[in-house]
Amino acid sequence: MVAASVTRPAAGARLLSLKHRQYLVAFLFVAPALINFAIFRYIPIFMAGEASLYDYSLLGGFGDFVGLKNYRRALEDDLFWSSMWVSFQYALMKVPLQVVLALLLAMFVSREVRGMSAIRTIIFFPVVTSLVVAAMLWSMMYNKDLGLFQSMMGAFGVRHNGFLSNPDLALPSIVLMMVWKEVGFSMIIFVAGLKGIPEMFYDAAAIDGASPFQRFLHITLPLLKPVTLFVVVTQTISAMQVFVPIFVMTQGGPFFATNAIVYYIYQNGFAYNDMGYASALSFFVLALLVAVSYIQFKALKGQAEY
Amino acid sequence: MATVTTNPTTGSTSVRPPDAAHGSRVRLTALAEPVFRYLAYAVIVVVFLLPFVWMFFGSVRREIEIHGYMFPFSWHTIVPVEWTIQSYLDIFGISEEGAKGGLRFHRGLMNSGIIAVAVVSSSMLFNTMAAYFFARLPFPGKKWLTAYVLATFLLPFEVTVVPLYLVISEMGLRNSYWAMIVPFYASPFIVFMLTQFLGGIPKDLDEAALVDGASYWAILWKIIFPNALPAIATAALIEFQFIWNLFYWPLIATSSLDLQVIQVMIASQTSDRTVYWGRTFAGLVVAVFPVLILFLFGQRYYFRGAVLSGMK
Repeated sequence: MVAASVTRPAAGARLLSLKHRQYLVAFLFVAPALINFAIFRYIPIFMAGEASLYDYSLLGGFGDFVGLKNYRRALEDDLFWSSMWVSFQYALMKVPLQVVLALLLAMFVSREVRGMSAIRTIIFFPVVTSLVVAAMLWSMMYNKDLGLFQSMMGAFGVRHNGFLSNPDLALPSIVLMMVWKEVGFSMIIFVAGLKGIPEMFYDAAAIDGASPFQRFLHITLPLLKPVTLFVVVTQTISAMQVFVPIFVMTQGGPFFATNAIVYYIYQNGFAYNDMGYASALSFFVLALLVAVSYIQFKALKGQAEY
Repeated sequence: MATVTTNPTTGSTSVRPPDAAHGSRVRLTALAEPVFRYLAYAVIVVVFLLPFVWMFFGSVRREIEIHGYMFPFSWHTIVPVEWTIQSYLDIFGISEEGAKGGLRFHRGLMNSGIIAVAVVSSSMLFNTMAAYFFARLPFPGKKWLTAYVLATFLLPFEVTVVPLYLVISEMGLRNSYWAMIVPFYASPFIVFMLTQFLGGIPKDLDEAALVDGASYWAILWKIIFPNALPAIATAALIEFQFIWNLFYWPLIATSSLDLQVIQVMIASQTSDRTVYWGRTFAGLVVAVFPVLILFLFGQRYYFRGAVLSGMK
């Protein structure tokens, strides 16, 4: 590794010029972090690549070499494709809803008026709360028999047959919980974006007689485009990885309606004890997401420079 | 309302008829702004706070009350009639029922605490060192090392959990505190964030010290560290929140009940949920309490952290 090849000459440091000794000392400062990223970020990818070519179980470790069998199996696995579709649907529902709400909230809370800082704090509460806590709290609110929602809707004489137990409502219910949890995060990024727009743009437009809506349409939105794009990209990538709420709230059900890809990977690896297949699936999704984020990373860079 | 009014913010006279949506909104806003604002406040408070209020009140009332007052919806659906800390006594195994049920949330809190302290302190040290290197130390080809760090941003965390599990297993660290500490002693994101910040500290400070013969280490310790404290505090809070709230990795990295962190412990109560809501609520409260308190005291840091992570 990089670290080893540079530290080896340490014994003969005297032979090195002053400059090289400086480089060596400097490198020692960054070495621990670089080693961490090598072992815990990069090597796992290669390990997964290797494990995906074998029968690999938790107890038995590496078994027979099976070549691309795990990948072929994935391509023919209906549950794999449907789980990809579930993750995709989840992202498709969550991202637009969250971005629109975050933008609206940001415009509301970015005004410095009485009480607003408390409101910002409250909206941020769910963000610092753990996913497990949020998911458990909401599954209790969604509870079919004793949930808070059931009780509140009952006050209006409405009765429904369950959120999380209903195949049509389960995924949207998880989306709603997650938007509640994460909208504050996107909001704060939009607030920072809004603060970056010079006040004089609005003043000039107001003098020209532009209505608030016109100002929003022709000043706020275009100038927030890079921030918006950024939020959309990062949220999409994180939405494609949804796991915890599914683990806590629905276990992939009912009838696989919330069986998202990361949950499906988890099931294969840890419930069915098939690490080789789980690795192959991880590698698939990883390659897909890396490709997507790389393309969007490039696109964003171009965007930021105008 | 149908009269021509003067817009108080711009001083221009509006000649639009009152039914034109935009014109009327300007005038309405001026009149009804506080009313509309407080209405919005109320909606936001209910949406974002009510679940927490319900959770907290649910944890300090008797089990039978939670279910008994659920229908019809009333004040007492949320607010306790009779206050009790029984659920807390249960989850900490202090009460007889709790002890019999094998509940020991104090153990989960302790495990989470040990891991959080170890991760936050080690990662502050190693991340600051790395950031110091990137921001201020001379080294040939530093941009390649920067790319090496930044490229990890492309690796989605949840998807790399299974691969990480393979590495930790091969290292023989499975089912130990180390499994939950070692992978996080450095963070590419925190290195990047601190590098940005350290780059902003005036260069003549450490150049003067270098001329005086101070070592890099002394400069980092005596000059950089004190100057970077706000940024390091921000990083520490982000890191604490990250590690305290982590679930998926501790779930699979450990199987021993003695090593269960609080997040995994509360989730494993799910099966009892329909029977013991009070205990579940109490568990959620203790799991969320440390981060919520830290957040209330260090809000500014959290917001800045969110923005910085948003701008990576």
